[in-house]
Amino acid sequence: MSRSKPQTRPAKPEPELRTLASLAPGTSGRVVRITRDLTGRAERLAALGISAGAAIRVLQTFPGIVFECDQTELAVERAVARAIMVQVADNSSAWEVT
Amino acid sequence: MPCPHAIPDLKATPLLRLRAHPLRIALIGNPNVGKSVVFGRLTGRYATVSNYPGTTVTITKGRAMVGAEMCDVIDTPGVNALEGVLSEDERITREMLVDGGAEMVVQIADARNLRRALLLTSQLADFKRPMILVLNMLDEARARGVDIDSEALAECLGIPVIEAVATEGRGMSELRAALPVAAIPRAARDAGIDHLHWADGTAARFRTIGTVTLGRFQEWLGRAVRQPLTGLPILALVLYVTYLFVGVLGAQTLVGALENVVFGGYINPAATALTAHIPIAVARDFLTGQYGLITMGLTYSIAIVLPVVTTFFLVFGFFEDSGYIPRLAIFADRLFRSMGLNGKAVLPMVLGLGCDTMATMTTRILGTPKERLIAITLIALGVPCSAQLATIMGILGGISVWALLTLFAVVLMQMVIVGFLAARALPGDRSDFILELPPIRMPRLRNLLTKTGLRVKWYLGEAVPLFLIGTALLFLMDRLGALAWLTSAARPIVTGALGLPSDAAQVFVMGFLRRDYGAAGLFTMAHDGSLTGLQAVVALTVMTLFVPCVANLLMIIKERGLRVGVAILTFVTIVAISTGTVLNTILRVLHVTF
Repeated sequence: MSRSKPQTRPAKPEPELRTLASLAPGTSGRVVRITRDLTGRAERLAALGISAGAAIRVLQTFPGIVFECDQTELAVERAVARAIMVQVADNSSAWEVT
Repeated sequence: MPCPHAIPDLKATPLLRLRAHPLRIALIGNPNVGKSVVFGRLTGRYATVSNYPGTTVTITKGRAMVGAEMCDVIDTPGVNALEGVLSEDERITREMLVDGGAEMVVQIADARNLRRALLLTSQLADFKRPMILVLNMLDEARARGVDIDSEALAECLGIPVIEAVATEGRGMSELRAALPVAAIPRAARDAGIDHLHWADGTAARFRTIGTVTLGRFQEWLGRAVRQPLTGLPILALVLYVTYLFVGVLGAQTLVGALENVVFGGYINPAATALTAHIPIAVARDFLTGQYGLITMGLTYSIAIVLPVVTTFFLVFGFFEDSGYIPRLAIFADRLFRSMGLNGKAVLPMVLGLGCDTMATMTTRILGTPKERLIAITLIALGVPCSAQLATIMGILGGISVWALLTLFAVVLMQMVIVGFLAARALPGDRSDFILELPPIRMPRLRNLLTKTGLRVKWYLGEAVPLFLIGTALLFLMDRLGALAWLTSAARPIVTGALGLPSDAAQVFVMGFLRRDYGAAGLFTMAHDGSLTGLQAVVALTVMTLFVPCVANLLMIIKERGLRVGVAILTFVTIVAISTGTVLNTILRVLHVTF
């Protein structure tokens, strides 16, 4: 057993998860999980193809959030977008939206 | 193209078999994948085809010859899931699978969305019915760089997989040929994993995504209509073009030609001359008198309403097929949420402009009972149907644009107020706003003409008889003195509160039979010069808000029960009359004459 193996500390900080609602147009990434705070919401989204692993790209954020997932454009309200946790792709042209 | 021989482990079942009843084949699939197009191709029957999810809300049946066997084909409303939390549509489809109404399933899939389609395939597999998978809209998928190895997919699933472009009829003969070898698919349950993972994995294995060759203009347009900076001017343009086509060409030019030239110049004088030979005065009046079947019933329905309905259905069908209407939901979502609905409710509301009765049925696409109740009430209250809308444009367009805008502003305000209060007063919740936007497409002329033709036929079959019955009823009431009694009984409201000529009372009676019939009555009053501009605005506002027509009321009762129906009727009448009274008072105090 060697103590040198840095098991407790990851070599690279884990890329942070963002909610879909916080992403700017043009950002792409992968869905990591859907927050299950409302009954049936995750199932509804899954039936439309939005589930862990799905690649998405934000198209528009105002007046509603529109994003692309698997060749389909979907419009959702902010509350729904907040439940979709996304891992932003590295090469994505993301910038902060306040 | 794959063919049935791509599935080696399947034994062809004999085509001819003795059955107690024809084999029932259900077309099932996600919303807006073209089930109704395939249905039309298989059966030769037309089921309404549009480019938005939720066009089909009921089950349509037709017959198709497959080989030498006659089959029942069932078109179903689109479903995204068959387990978990289900919408009303999804429950209808699920029940059909459970109780054996469907013995074989043809799943129609949008080839662009293999993953979602397979998620449904996997759930369908649990019902243990022989299946076929149709990858429809393959041309559009290819344009987006999606390529599917359908032969390998067929092998993996153990069922026939057909590549198709149903609107062009491609893949339909292959589909017919594959029906005898339909099989129960191998899916998630056989792999021992959940539907989602299975669909993910399977889609990834058989699909490659390459370069997109989609038309630049289409892409630009799809973006432009949903962004506020370009979308709102486009909406204004859409409304203006609709107004030009329906309000000017339909309600003014065509109505003018039909009413004044064809009916005024030929038919009515000829009919009057002919009936002059009838010795019985009552019979003469019944045909060509003030409330004559020809001079009133036919003139109203054919000369005033028909041109307007036809032009409207044409424009409306165009926008339906283009994929534009669901994009309005993005703009409407915020407002609708304050009314206890969500953006999705834009669909039934806008469809109400075509026909409120149909729209009442389309509220099935909404998620919760509360949303459906609010939407049905608002449609009954404020959404004018095509015929009514056009008579409104025809009358007020002739007075001034301000008159038209006043009416729309008042009606919209009422809808928002009622919606806002209903959202707070009624128990229950609204559902999440999650809406799939269909691709922007150039509408197909053939579908547009077929659809418009069928709608016009429906109008002629449904509305014209009601116009005639209504006219006969008015004639009878007039003869029996009931009309005079009603007119004087309603005088305090009609003349007093609303400031209208007392004759307007009978127009409201007509309006209950069909709103457009009442509006047509106002149209002739306005033409006779017996309505001032102010009176026209007040009368039309009340008529718009007034009770839904008989057909719509019956539909409300059918969908939501008698109690709800009567409650909505009472409520809407009260709102209509009080709004008219307030509007009349304000306009008179401000000395607005239009």
